[in-house]
Amino acid sequence: MPKYTSMAYKSWDDMIFGTAPHPVSIGIGPIELGKKHVYPQIVPHPRPGSEATKEKILREYQRMTDDALGRCVALGFPGLVIEFEHIYQMTSQPEWAAAIFTQAKGQMQDYYDKYGLKSALVSTVADLRKPDMVHMRHSQELDWMLASFESTAAGGADVLSIESMGGKEVFDYAVQRQDIKGVIFGIGVLSSRDMEWLWQKIVATAKKNNITPGGDTDCARGNTAMFLAGGYTATDLPHTFAALARACSAARSLVAYEQGATGPSKDCAYEDPIIKAITGVPISMEGVASACAHSEMQSNIVSAVVDLWSNEAVEYHDMFAGSSVEVFTEILGYNVAQMNAAIELGTAKELRDINIASDKYRDVHGFMLSPDNAYEIGKAIVSKVDSYYLRSKAAVLKTADLIAADKKLVLTEHEREALDKARKEVDQLPDNEGDFVDMCLSEYKKVPGFDPTSYGY
Amino acid sequence: MARTVADIADFTPIFVRYDVKIAPKKRGAEDVSADPVLQAIARGVVDGDEDVVSDATDKAIAAKGPETVIDTLIAGMREVSKLWDDGVYFLPQVILSSDALMVGLTKAEDAMGGKATKKGTVVMHCAHGDIHDIGKNIAAALIRANGFLVIDLGSDVPEDTVVKAIKDNKAHLVTGTALMTTTMSAFAKISDMLKKEGVELPFVCGGGAVSEEYVTSYDMGVYADVAKDGPGFAADASSGMSWQDMRAKWNLVV
Repeated sequence: MPKYTSMAYKSWDDMIFGTAPHPVSIGIGPIELGKKHVYPQIVPHPRPGSEATKEKILREYQRMTDDALGRCVALGFPGLVIEFEHIYQMTSQPEWAAAIFTQAKGQMQDYYDKYGLKSALVSTVADLRKPDMVHMRHSQELDWMLASFESTAAGGADVLSIESMGGKEVFDYAVQRQDIKGVIFGIGVLSSRDMEWLWQKIVATAKKNNITPGGDTDCARGNTAMFLAGGYTATDLPHTFAALARACSAARSLVAYEQGATGPSKDCAYEDPIIKAITGVPISMEGVASACAHSEMQSNIVSAVVDLWSNEAVEYHDMFAGSSVEVFTEILGYNVAQMNAAIELGTAKELRDINIASDKYRDVHGFMLSPDNAYEIGKAIVSKVDSYYLRSKAAVLKTADLIAADKKLVLTEHEREALDKARKEVDQLPDNEGDFVDMCLSEYKKVPGFDPTSYGY
Repeated sequence: MARTVADIADFTPIFVRYDVKIAPKKRGAEDVSADPVLQAIARGVVDGDEDVVSDATDKAIAAKGPETVIDTLIAGMREVSKLWDDGVYFLPQVILSSDALMVGLTKAEDAMGGKATKKGTVVMHCAHGDIHDIGKNIAAALIRANGFLVIDLGSDVPEDTVVKAIKDNKAHLVTGTALMTTTMSAFAKISDMLKKEGVELPFVCGGGAVSEEYVTSYDMGVYADVAKDGPGFAADASSGMSWQDMRAKWNLVV
């Protein structure tokens, strides 16, 4: 499949929330993404213990779905996307997943028939292939995943997505040692190759069932780096290093769209502003309302160019104002009501710029995901069309240059040293993929469980 | 009035860069030996340089004996811990130091013809159905570098495998990590299985969505918030502290 060679926008300033050059229609209503409207996306998660039996888990999902839909109607929200990120028991038992999706889709249809509430259902299959434990292309876990894609597609899912795991073994080894070469190899090369192989199957399943192949996320690697970097007081990983890992994430997650995914993208792919700049597909992002799942340093700026506004995951519990699913549906619904009001008032760019000002200089992650910088990183990626390695390397170098050049972005001595060290190491890497891969296959054979044949080597 | 982010000169009304305020002065480690070869070992550990540690260890084993080498490796790692505690080092420097220490330790133990005396034995695993193990791996490296024997069972480990490993290795401590709430229920099952077998030891659990409330709801459970605390848990358990006392020390007991 051809790689992206150009940008979807002429200028970063054309990028705005709610609008995408390549809109997508999904679900009941339908939900139209990218057509001057932002929708909320709730990701409910069942309580521990509810996975004990099929009956219990069905009951849990039935209640969570009804809570989400009911709160939308109670407060007048025009539509909702519900994402079920599979728990282990759903992907490993595809018949459970099918029953859960069929049940939810029936509830969504009932709400549409009774109230006209638009909705769509995303199936995010759990990637159970841990690269150091199973072969990525031949394993029971892969068979479960493919069966679960099929069963949920047939059961009522409107969108298929995944958080794929390729390259995780090498990445984990490298990130713990602040080794940028291993990060580029793990994310930029291995994960990209795994996605190219896997996404052909996901797209085929979506097409067969006449539904939408959504997107992938570098959660297993890019978000690991981001969370290790943490907040201002954390000392697990320099923030500048995590930002360079995120640059690789963008080059890597692009592969899904090159293989036929159309968006909406996966919400926890923080690289998505770069993806939108290149592809023009509608993106899902998680920000301030995902504080229930994790802390982050760019909660507002990631809404700047969003089309589907998510909360990542909220476990089902009672709260003062109802269940957690009701509460977070309400938060998300009002968040997007503000964005949609700005669109109707003709002040969307002002709201976008407020959110950029909130976080652009709070931390390097927000800085690189600011639409202006995301656009520049995207341009670096599409300038290298011949190689997954070279476009990751180009993204890292561009990100390092942007961080180093902006005097408003304050770095501590440790952060600057980490940036300079990584930059120097990347400068010394080979100029072609073959030499780089040979070097890495030799060096990272020491990583426990790393099997090059999992990636077609 | 600023019109865009480029016009804002002072961001302090929006956010405060506490990291800049607390950034430590860069400093090196203290010397641990007047002997140049032994100091080279310690320096190699502090710098995370496996080659330096390897070369210096070869020389020192012949001249000073493997026990002295091990003492020096541990002294070097102690300096690393100080730098980490002071915010001078970040985790990757500690992991690289741990790698370097293990190179020297392996050589010294080979020269001794057996394992050096360990402070205690820790069985570690990721819950059945859970494959998110980076936190466990970081904790394992830190615990190992602090002189404990680590039996790492890996990820997605069935409950009976964990129980068997505890019994077979006479473990002082078992740890469990999970990212997902729907896999952490394996911890309560392990607790029940251990009770039925008449085995009692601290069971330190943490990771992702695992909560203190959940971990302290079953016997033996002690909640861990960060991987960095791993050596502290191992030291307490190996000293004979009960799980009740460890829970009282480390957790909010209501």
